[in-house]
Amino acid sequence: MSESPQLTYTEIDRTVLDTLSPPSGGYWLIVMVLILGVLAGVACWVYQIFIGIGAGGQNIPVAWGTYLINFVFWVGIAHSGTLISAILYLFRAGWRNPIARAAETMTVFAVSIAGLFPFIHLGRVWVVYYMLPYPNQRYLWPNFQSPLVFDMVAISTYLTVSTLFWYTGMLPDLAVVRDRATGFRRKVFTVISLGWTGKHEQWRHYTRGYLFFAALATPLVISVHSVVSWDFALGIVPGWHSTIFAPYFVAGAIHSGLAMVLTLLIPLRKLFHYERIVTMRILEAVAKTIIFTGLIVGYAYTVEYFLAWYSHNGVEMEAFRWRALGDYSLEFWIMVVCNSIIPLLFFFKKIRTSIPWLFGISILINIGMWYERFVIIIGGVAHGFIPHAWGLYWPSGIEWGIMIGSFSLFFLFFVLFVKHLPSISMTEMKETLDHGGGHGN
Amino acid sequence: MATDRRVMGLFPDEKQTAEVIEAMSAYPWQIDRVHSPLPSHRISTALKVKKSPVGWFTLAGGILGFFTGFALAAYTALVWKLIVWGKPIIAWIPFVIVGFEFTILFSVFGNVLGLLIFGGLPDYKGLEEYDPRCSGEHFGIVATCTEGEQDQVIEFFRNKGGEARVFE
Repeated sequence: MSESPQLTYTEIDRTVLDTLSPPSGGYWLIVMVLILGVLAGVACWVYQIFIGIGAGGQNIPVAWGTYLINFVFWVGIAHSGTLISAILYLFRAGWRNPIARAAETMTVFAVSIAGLFPFIHLGRVWVVYYMLPYPNQRYLWPNFQSPLVFDMVAISTYLTVSTLFWYTGMLPDLAVVRDRATGFRRKVFTVISLGWTGKHEQWRHYTRGYLFFAALATPLVISVHSVVSWDFALGIVPGWHSTIFAPYFVAGAIHSGLAMVLTLLIPLRKLFHYERIVTMRILEAVAKTIIFTGLIVGYAYTVEYFLAWYSHNGVEMEAFRWRALGDYSLEFWIMVVCNSIIPLLFFFKKIRTSIPWLFGISILINIGMWYERFVIIIGGVAHGFIPHAWGLYWPSGIEWGIMIGSFSLFFLFFVLFVKHLPSISMTEMKETLDHGGGHGN
Repeated sequence: MATDRRVMGLFPDEKQTAEVIEAMSAYPWQIDRVHSPLPSHRISTALKVKKSPVGWFTLAGGILGFFTGFALAAYTALVWKLIVWGKPIIAWIPFVIVGFEFTILFSVFGNVLGLLIFGGLPDYKGLEEYDPRCSGEHFGIVATCTEGEQDQVIEFFRNKGGEARVFE
């Protein structure tokens, strides 16, 4: 690519391999803090298991609280990883190459964490096997007409596919680490690189297989968040029962995921001296994509209001009036401002080429997208059809603890990853130098 | 005559490697394999490699997946009947969604299986005759030849600007 003509294969390898050198004390301090956060979350979950699901703030009418908010939030975060690694790969967008690995990794970790929340929300987590479809004496089978069961199938498929995609994409890089490692590390990387030697026969099948991976991951990612949206849209709850939910959720997921890519990459770029690999042009490209997704999200917010008005349905109209002016109006306006107005600042080149602005706005979008799920999920059931069944909800300390635990676990996984596995795809960077594309373009 | 010697020519440039591969067609030595740190169209073209058949595994996985997913949903509906207003027990729309997710899952399993089978992975023996520089900044052409031709091959690689290594 034109912005880094001076990079060579050796420099790419050295820059990335340097990140795997023994970490400093500061690194272990961060790891310890994150472990404490995870332990706090685990302690809250254990407490909830002993006390019961009532330890959380969920109650009638708001039976779906932060556990569902966090589930949707983390699934959403996962989506831009697949957008960057698969969809942009199919579009031959060369700027994805330096950030694809970090984004894919984010996907795997985010889906894993999302997958924890249905277990947490179950309460009696030890009877989770009731959900599995297998012949049993109870003659009980999951109802495959339920979007919750679609969701279970979709999320487990997504986790499996994204993990295999991530690992397959990393194989040539694991071989690079193996070939430059010594001792025990060399043995480990020999095993996990599967004896990859970059033979032309290996590349021949690998590039084809990778293309199919990308082609399969693309419809999968769209289907997964559509299915997540149907958890809500198939219910006849005011504010949920809408046909726009699938594209609305997919766009929102990519919006939040792109913001998280910036949140993770900006410190990574600084700490690991990736400035010549993750160039400002790449961060700018992410920012421009955020403008696009932000506009779609803003459009979806507007269309929801239009549909409520156009339906002439009193309950729908009241639900949306209350959303903007009622008890959760602050959360609603945080959502609108952070997701659809603040990202428009990226129209200004000065802002989208400024690291503090990029980082700050990415965090605001993450906050805004969390509140979007809050507004949709809580706002829907708190203010339904019957006024005497209206009620309010606020997360309990236990829920906040579990949420802190989930964020800590995500960042802990990522911090461990960047010090033990190559966080930039060396192979794809080399391809970028020569051809400006990804595997086999 | 037994071709029991393998000579690796190491080159620092992709284009140069492709040119050497093309030039080798005028000689009796066979190219056993070419190692490269990245997938290369130039090298593939020079070697005249055919399209990978991995896709057939992917396709087979996808077809199997769709029917598995649909059949699982239909079977469970039949053994645990939830009859609502005389609606059909085997509901096409929701079960196609389950079938779709299984299509993707099994396609990916087929894809990975094809990749492992055709790519010969895991291949720990392959590391015995390999130069670690080939994962970094070098391209390695491995030619098979007889003991008598070995020196000619080495000379050929050196004349083309490369470095030669012999595997016995």
